[in-house]
Amino acid sequence: MRRYICLTITIFTMVFLPGLDAEAQTNGWEDLFFRANQAFKEGHYQDAIDGYEQLAQTGHENGHIYYNLGNGYFRLNQLGQAILNYERARILIPRDADLNFNLRHARDQIQDVIAEPQGFIQMAFFWLDSLSLREVFWGFGILNVLFWSILLIRLFHRSEWNYYLSLVFLVLWLIGGTSFGLKWYQVWTDGRAVILEKEVNILAGPDIEDTVLFKLHEGTIVHHERSEDGWFLIRLPDKKRGWVEAETVEQIKRDPMALPGGSHN
Amino acid sequence: MKKAILLLILLYIFLNFPCLASGDVSVTLKLDRPEATLLDSITMVVSVSGTRKSDTQPTIKGLEAFNVRTGGTSSRIEIINGKVNAGVDYTYALQPKKTGTFTIGPAEVKVKGKTIKSNAETLTIVKSIQSPDVDRGPLFLSAALSPKQIFVEEQAIYTLKLFRQTRVGDISLGLPEAEHLTLKQLGKPVEYQSVYNGQSYQVLEVRYALISSREGIYGIRPSRMSMTVFQSRRKSSRSLFDDPFFSFSSGKPVTIASEPLELNVLPLPQKGRPTGFSGLVGNYKIKSHLEPSKIRAGESATMTVLLSGRGNIKRIPDLKLPELEKIKVYADQPVLMEETDSKGLAGSKTMKWALVPEKEGEYQIPSLSISFFDTTGKQYRVIKSPVLSLSVLPVEKAHVSVSQDVLKGHKTGGPGKQEVKELGHDILPVHTSIKDLHSGTRSGIGGLVFWLILIIPLFAYASTFLIQKFYRKTTVSVAAARARKAAKALTQQCRKGKLSSNDLTSSIRRYLNERFDLSLGSLTPDEAVDIVLSRGVKATTAERLRTALQELEDAIYTGKGQETCDMGGDIPKLIKQIEKEIR
Repeated sequence: MRRYICLTITIFTMVFLPGLDAEAQTNGWEDLFFRANQAFKEGHYQDAIDGYEQLAQTGHENGHIYYNLGNGYFRLNQLGQAILNYERARILIPRDADLNFNLRHARDQIQDVIAEPQGFIQMAFFWLDSLSLREVFWGFGILNVLFWSILLIRLFHRSEWNYYLSLVFLVLWLIGGTSFGLKWYQVWTDGRAVILEKEVNILAGPDIEDTVLFKLHEGTIVHHERSEDGWFLIRLPDKKRGWVEAETVEQIKRDPMALPGGSHN
Repeated sequence: MKKAILLLILLYIFLNFPCLASGDVSVTLKLDRPEATLLDSITMVVSVSGTRKSDTQPTIKGLEAFNVRTGGTSSRIEIINGKVNAGVDYTYALQPKKTGTFTIGPAEVKVKGKTIKSNAETLTIVKSIQSPDVDRGPLFLSAALSPKQIFVEEQAIYTLKLFRQTRVGDISLGLPEAEHLTLKQLGKPVEYQSVYNGQSYQVLEVRYALISSREGIYGIRPSRMSMTVFQSRRKSSRSLFDDPFFSFSSGKPVTIASEPLELNVLPLPQKGRPTGFSGLVGNYKIKSHLEPSKIRAGESATMTVLLSGRGNIKRIPDLKLPELEKIKVYADQPVLMEETDSKGLAGSKTMKWALVPEKEGEYQIPSLSISFFDTTGKQYRVIKSPVLSLSVLPVEKAHVSVSQDVLKGHKTGGPGKQEVKELGHDILPVHTSIKDLHSGTRSGIGGLVFWLILIIPLFAYASTFLIQKFYRKTTVSVAAARARKAAKALTQQCRKGKLSSNDLTSSIRRYLNERFDLSLGSLTPDEAVDIVLSRGVKATTAERLRTALQELEDAIYTGKGQETCDMGGDIPKLIKQIEKEIR
């Protein structure tokens, strides 16, 4: 009898304790989220930013957290950081109306006029810009299940309707698969970076003594090509290239290896 | 037929349903020209819009000096951008009884018991220009200038009238040209009946505004009008075709000219000329307003100044609002509206400024002034907008930043309507809902579920396909093995030799049952032949099988069933042939 009681207690502990721990953790970061929101409401923007940053760095990567971070930085007049976080949020919640409004407002205040040209892929797969990777994946996942299911049905029952249906699903599956592949590539090879300083010199080489090629201002989005000894080689859509100090710019893709001060490519 | 009836019913409902013609009812009175002679007829149209029926005929004031003849009623339905607008037009022909300037209208119309009034128009009736000694024939062109003496930049009305008694076509007009003189057509040409030297003519009238940019006496050359004149030519004798419909006419090219005229253009007087005079000539008025007049600091109010009048409106300068203390001023692009009517050139210029006060308080927006030469009073005049007051309350929100781009370009979009103005610009608040934390994540990508969703459907299909293929292969191979076994058993029995007819018949039947997976027990020769034929065995081979089986049956039924049969050697060959031919 005692053995059964011990066994029951052990099973109960194994099953429910991790749950309780997880719940405690959830309450922890929910508390942190509420505290950060309260700090923002009271105008303590730096405290709010610290709270949101802590959430983002402890694995709660979330479009809404980045959006709130962007708002906090905007209130502190750090336009570069604001745009950086809005862009990070846009990767996760691209159709959020508040986010798009705020990002547009923040972009209006950038000094540099840089037009992003639209390539063939962006035009042909126009929907990719307004869908997150997760949404594209689930769309493709559903198509994948439907496509193989109709093929499976055709193994047992061949008819005209399932022949045409399989053709339709084949086309949709190809489009969905290509979209997913492109979105995956877009997200994981995102080389965009944001200028964080009010004004930075773009030099001809990775040395402070090199010739100044042009100047960029806070909030401008550039493309990061490679890093070298604390310098970033950046490129603009109009093919202008140059070197900038790594601490004055930050990549939108949150990758510890690509963050300022990280190891070099 | 049913469709046609339905269409007619729908058309009837459409034409008679009052809702389709609903809308604001308005009445407009229009004259075909503002000036006519005693012998002319003037066309007047009273247009009722927004309804297709009025309770009564229009009552028009100011027609005591005219003989009025009704010219009929016409109703109309317009569909513009999907909006149905219906109306009715009442046409009248006016014949003046005396000279003078008359105010025609307003016209009053009763719609659903409500009286609606129109505008009023001014009509000047002058004496007819008669030259009793000169008969100008059935076709002539007449020109007139009014007034004959003007100031620089003032407009005179140059009127051309084509009097005709014959049918004409392909009309082209050559206007006189002179340096420093500009002609601009006023409205569309009008056509009416008139009497000249006791003869009735059809008159085509076209009016121009004539403006001179420099003083002097200008000789205005004749205008030339080219056209094709059609002369009626009837056959002399009456015939079947002696009918106006069948009358023939031939065209003849004709060019006629008007009389030359003279215009005296006076310089603008130096006396009383205001400093900064822009050259604006005519008659103008100024209006201004501020909207809203009560705002909070950081918000914007729009000040609008409207300059309108008749004259050289292109000369209206862009007014400048002086710098205001503690108020940021953003000027909008001025909008110039130019229009022409039978009286000449007219128009307006609208100027707008967005005013953004930085601090609360009571502000006075100074008046704006403009000078012009008044052609009626023949003197310079200065008109001023009133001083406007702006009440500014303390700022309510902490973070309001105003973008200049936003404040620019708000225009009114119709009577009583205005585009929504963006007064300030700020970011939207943070997301505070706990639900937000569970959405917009990257979770799921690259995890187990991710790979399962991608791979499981493919795996399920592939495994089902392979199992199905294996099963089919197995079924085929089992049948083949069974066939081989049955054939082998029969061949072996035959090779043992000394088989009786009974034994051989049983062996062949067993072979057929096992080979074709049958459960028929005893088979007749015909049944056996049908079976092998259905499996693709040739007819000759099947016939050989029938013969063999019949011979064996004959032996059994004649009491020789137990005797040794001599067919034991042929049967294996026959079975081999059957196996070969089976599909």
